[in-house]
Amino acid sequence: MRLELGKIKINDVQFGEMTRVEKGILYVNKEEIVKLVLEDDRIISARVELARPGESVRIAPVKDVIEPRVKVSGSGQIFPGTINKVKEVGSGRTHALVGATVITCGRIVGFQEGLIDMSGPSAKYTPFSETNNVCVVIEPVEGLETHDYEAAGRMAGLKVATYIGEAGKNIEPDEVVVYETKPVQEQIRQYPDLPKIGYIHMLQSQGLLHDTYYYGVDAKVMVPTFMYPTEIMDGAIISGNCVAPCDKVTTFHHLNNPVIEDLYKRHGKDLNFIGVILTNENVFLADKERSSDMVAKLCEFLGLDGVLITEEGYGNPDTDLMMNCKKVSQKGVKVVLITDEFPGRDGKSQSLADAVEEGDALVSCGNGNVIIDFPPMEKVIGTLDFIETMIGGYEGSLKPDGSIEAELQIVIASTIANGYNKLAARGY
Amino acid sequence: MYKTIITNNHKVFQKYKDRYDVLFLQEGSYMDVLNETRNKVHRGYKVLTHPMAGSLKPNQTPYKSIIIGEGRGVTDYESINLIENSIEAAIKFLKYKSTPKWSEKILKDFETVDLSFIENVVRNPMFDNA
Repeated sequence: MRLELGKIKINDVQFGEMTRVEKGILYVNKEEIVKLVLEDDRIISARVELARPGESVRIAPVKDVIEPRVKVSGSGQIFPGTINKVKEVGSGRTHALVGATVITCGRIVGFQEGLIDMSGPSAKYTPFSETNNVCVVIEPVEGLETHDYEAAGRMAGLKVATYIGEAGKNIEPDEVVVYETKPVQEQIRQYPDLPKIGYIHMLQSQGLLHDTYYYGVDAKVMVPTFMYPTEIMDGAIISGNCVAPCDKVTTFHHLNNPVIEDLYKRHGKDLNFIGVILTNENVFLADKERSSDMVAKLCEFLGLDGVLITEEGYGNPDTDLMMNCKKVSQKGVKVVLITDEFPGRDGKSQSLADAVEEGDALVSCGNGNVIIDFPPMEKVIGTLDFIETMIGGYEGSLKPDGSIEAELQIVIASTIANGYNKLAARGY
Repeated sequence: MYKTIITNNHKVFQKYKDRYDVLFLQEGSYMDVLNETRNKVHRGYKVLTHPMAGSLKPNQTPYKSIIIGEGRGVTDYESINLIENSIEAAIKFLKYKSTPKWSEKILKDFETVDLSFIENVVRNPMFDNA
């Protein structure tokens, strides 16, 4: 499967009469976005605001972040099984508005959710302080049930991102990157002397506000499966996860998975990237047993020499992470784990809720318990009313001048457990 | 296997009290649910759902529901490991920050999320045969 990803660099976002891209500037029509969101009668109001790098802006609470993309050629359309019809994606050509995002904001439950600072010392903890963000603030109809609100918010973000993505269809990209993975036997023959490496991508799948969808299928009712890495770049996986801001994998992070990106960079040089095994993180222990058995079986079947494993979340998923690690290792496959840590504020406690002897190589993406200070911002998109009830916030977090003291885990993607952050140790 | 739901979540109790054995710790804390589960596990029960379900940390949500199954009088060491690790992790979180006093509205949201984890397990076709 071969995908050409055309990257259209976006340096600024502004309101305009027509949603379009011109000379690196994304113009968005506010009224059309609002109209699109309000097509869903579960949402009573929608407001569009823009947030650019360097501005004195704080966005909270955040539900999802999505990079606008569009299929230019090849099978299927963006977000298959959710926004568009179910059809295989991952081949042909796709354009991405790199440097632009759609951010859905809105309080789904009382304890929601993370924040993004566009400037100041806390901006460096989130990648979205460096993107030009179209923020869609949504309000549900009175009394809307939590599951329905989550679904409405999820769909609103995807719809707006798909609409904005269309603006990139006929634009000549600044850069075209080609990603290709061949059917397994052919792929092995292409680089017969290089180690065969796979990526085990664990999807959050526990329940309300903790879900992920693959081609529209709820990840908790799927069994582990093989995916060509390019499928994810066309939106085959979307996020329905709203809990634990620091390490939730937003739809943006699925589209831009850094493990896949880096494995492709080394593909054919010092490793042979065979593909992705998708699995879940269910609550029922029997599901964990079945899924980890199947992950190990797929690794063996594909003849992998080594795998990288990422998880999403803390606690329950740590058990899946360790079961996968143990069983895959027992098949003779080398395993490296990637995750963030919750070892307490002093960093002295156990980082994960589970451990196995086989887990002897791990890349850390940071400690979510560290306390940081956030200076006041001139503008707030959304509301700060819930800062003290957000994950990472606490009583006394929000000061009268608008400054905040909170744990790092309050910041969206600050310790994301796939390495799309700046807290990992890096080799140069 | 005979199953018991240990919970301090009123919504879980209401939904399943007529269908399953529910040990409802009405005034109990998150830690009380974990400790009660540990007591049962040491008496031969197996843990069927992960004690740390959900990304909400033990010092964030006050609610916890765990499903256990009656074993055959044999100690299940995996269950012991799981519940002991979960208790250790919960103590770690609660040590430096206790669970806030949430408003009624927020408490209801926490109950709904906790209930969702259990609902998704109970509707699993494998569950009744587990």
